[in-house]
Amino acid sequence: MEQSLAARDHCGQRPLKQPSLALMAHLVLTGLTKRYGQTVAVASLDLAVERGESVALLGPSGCGKTTTLRMLAGLIAPDAGRVTVADQDLTQVPTHKRDMGYVFQSYALFPHLDVAANVAFGLAERGIARSERDRRAREALALVRLAGFEGRRPRELSGGQQQRVALARALVLRPQVLLLDESLSNLDARLRESMRHEIREIQRNLAITTLFVTHDQTEALTMCDRIAVMNRGRIEQIGTAREIYDTPATRFVAGFVGRINTIPLARDATGLNAGGIAIRAHGVPDGPVDLFLRPQLVALAARSEPAGDANRLEGVAARTVFVGDRSEVLVDTAAGRLVVELAPGAPAPADGAEIALLWAPETGRVFAREDA
Amino acid sequence: MNTGAGASRSLAFAAAGVIGLLLAPVVVVVVISFSADSFIVFPPSGWSLRWYERLLSHRPLMAGLQLSATVAAFVAVLSLILGLPAALALARGNFPGREALRAFFLAPLLLPTLVLGLALLLAFQPFGLIATLPGLVLAHLTVTLPFVVRMMATNFATLPDDLEAAAATLGAPPLRVFFRVTLPLAAPGLAASGALAFLLSFDETVISLFVSGPRASTLPVEMVRYVEGRTDPMIAALSTVLVCGTLAVAVAVERMIGLTRAVGR
Amino acid sequence: MKAPARIAWLALPAGAVLAFVYVYPMLDLGRMSFNRTGPTGAMVPDWSLAIWRELLADPFTLELTWNSIVLSAVATTGALLLAYPLALFLFRTDSRWRGLIAAIAITPMLVNGVARVFGWLAILGDRGLVNSILLSAGLVDQPVRLVYNWTGVAIGLTESLMPYMILALMAGFGRLDRTLEEAAASLGAPPWRRFMRVTLPLSLPAIVLGWLLCFVLAMSAYITPKLLGGGRVFLLATEIFELAVTNVNWPMAAALALYTLILLLLFLAAYGALARRAA
Repeated sequence: MEQSLAARDHCGQRPLKQPSLALMAHLVLTGLTKRYGQTVAVASLDLAVERGESVALLGPSGCGKTTTLRMLAGLIAPDAGRVTVADQDLTQVPTHKRDMGYVFQSYALFPHLDVAANVAFGLAERGIARSERDRRAREALALVRLAGFEGRRPRELSGGQQQRVALARALVLRPQVLLLDESLSNLDARLRESMRHEIREIQRNLAITTLFVTHDQTEALTMCDRIAVMNRGRIEQIGTAREIYDTPATRFVAGFVGRINTIPLARDATGLNAGGIAIRAHGVPDGPVDLFLRPQLVALAARSEPAGDANRLEGVAARTVFVGDRSEVLVDTAAGRLVVELAPGAPAPADGAEIALLWAPETGRVFAREDA
Repeated sequence: MNTGAGASRSLAFAAAGVIGLLLAPVVVVVVISFSADSFIVFPPSGWSLRWYERLLSHRPLMAGLQLSATVAAFVAVLSLILGLPAALALARGNFPGREALRAFFLAPLLLPTLVLGLALLLAFQPFGLIATLPGLVLAHLTVTLPFVVRMMATNFATLPDDLEAAAATLGAPPLRVFFRVTLPLAAPGLAASGALAFLLSFDETVISLFVSGPRASTLPVEMVRYVEGRTDPMIAALSTVLVCGTLAVAVAVERMIGLTRAVGR
Repeated sequence: MKAPARIAWLALPAGAVLAFVYVYPMLDLGRMSFNRTGPTGAMVPDWSLAIWRELLADPFTLELTWNSIVLSAVATTGALLLAYPLALFLFRTDSRWRGLIAAIAITPMLVNGVARVFGWLAILGDRGLVNSILLSAGLVDQPVRLVYNWTGVAIGLTESLMPYMILALMAGFGRLDRTLEEAAASLGAPPWRRFMRVTLPLSLPAIVLGWLLCFVLAMSAYITPKLLGGGRVFLLATEIFELAVTNVNWPMAAALALYTLILLLLFLAAYGALARRAA
């Protein structure tokens, strides 16, 4: 616990260190906190989202991302902290006056109303005349490619269609902020893929400030301008997909986003070693550490090939696995079994072949061992 | 919900008020059973245990208590013996007319007990079954048997199919599957429906009013007669005893399978 | 696992018992209504419509019908209004006391009916709880008559129906989903509008079902009207019992019981047709 709080202080202040961003930001969360008894669901979370920007809250289940989103929408009251949109403090404002579109994981379409009435629900609350309501509902349905579905009941629609109705229902109100809660997780893989692009496109065209909660890193990587990786109620790192992937700020981010090899390192008089083989790395903290290495940043080489400046680990190719768009080689080394991505067009080593693994010292990331 | 906090608080207050109203008669009965007054006066002017003492020496009520307990015991056992196989047939069988059979078994639950009681009086009179132990037991079965069948059929239907299939793949023949898997799994439901059948029979008033007589009257029938004639706190003392018994059964059933599930449809 | 068809034989013993204690008595009841009563009041076996003619021609039958329907409608509606908030609370709450509260709410259903009626006598009687409060507060000089009349019967009946209503409502709340109300809130609907536009329409089937069930129960309730009505409240149910047990006019009792049953069936059918058209 102490350790995690320390880590929060270390990286949780990042947005505050960028005052220019905070000034321009459209949606700002400051010190947002939610406790359930002894458990801290969200721990003093800070986040600033620019106007028209799309940010993903990415994390494993139970990390507090949905709680954060629900506090934003006013569905749960925070224990501490503030929510502001366009410099207006909304923390005490009830949900129905917040002007935020919310797309629920279950879509939450009203089963007793048809599609048009679902979409027009919020327009009716705003006292808009019937004819105008109908017109705008039709427009919104056309936007999500559901023209002609006005008279259907939600239960007569497929999952993807329900999802789009839910989206249209939120968008038709032209909300200041759009909140999406795991909105694609109930769709099958193929549909999810096309919906990702569709939602991203709509979000971009309308330039609507969006917060998207997901546990699926592909969704986060493809649908958002920036990603905030959450763990245990705090943001571990926030940045573009590239930044998150290439330079993970914490051990958790390195392990959670993308595939990665974890190699335990030991210290001796001369420096670090992995299974007795000397290793060089950058940014090494004190205490016991592990090396994190992306499979595609490791090169397969013959034993005879010179290492040069690179780190070198000898091993035996155990097996090559074809994963559809690439091949992976499982290599047994003195530091354990590692996964290495085969470069496109490169020949797979025979099972049992004696090979070497090479990587540049700056490609690996080293973090303190957690269970130390 | 942030916005709904006020609404749900008012909802909770309303709920508490309704619970109070539901409990009021029972609470008042318990309080008044310790009254020293000779009439129903609330709040009582003094306290005593005299109505409990009187109750013990009141012959008709004590005889009714004994008869009701006997009837209820027979009814509970017979309901289980007859109802369990029928429930199994309905839940596991796959034969033509199964839905019709289910409707047949559940139909008595839809009929007002007043009509059933009258019908039983007219039908049992020629057989000399009125105001006899067998007559009362048979009459109560009209209500408890469908109840047990419904409850046990639901119970069997909600048992995981996979477990029986698993037992079969492990080499157990159907009868062994039933005794080693199905029955142990259904045991809590069985005990609960037995307990509720006992309670239903013990408290059955309207049907008993029709098929009781001077020779044999169940406890609720004697209670009705007593309340019609006099209003003193003795019935409160008796009711308190009954409420305690009912609570014990309700708690047991709640522990076994959950009360709302047991009595709900 | 589906068993072979011969498993149906397992239902035979129970079926045989029900045939004797349910099918036969009901047929016998129908047969009885076609007998006659002789000049001495004794029953004469016959196949005639005399009893039915007498029953339907009697203005008292109409009065009883009207009394029963009005009382049942009032008590059922009262039970609905009281049970709805409690059922909604039970359906929604995530309190760990939920199970206990639900058990308390439906336990009265299991408590002996006579005991509960006695409780109401102690609350509503001339020297009962309510009158004690009214008198000591100086709101009235004389005790208010709350039992042995229609008021007492309506109150007692309402309370006795509530557990059934709560169960029916909770069972029917299946389509109610908390998320739907949250969605309505996110779309700008304040609490009251959320209730009117989402919660109430979605719980309408449960309301209809609960009302129906309780109305049928109220129409055939006997103990509460008998004991709280003090012989001043005349209903179909009390009259059936009087005819059968006190007057020993079995043909007439049978005819009135069947008349009540047919009334309920007609009512259910009409309601069902109405509900279908609404849906």
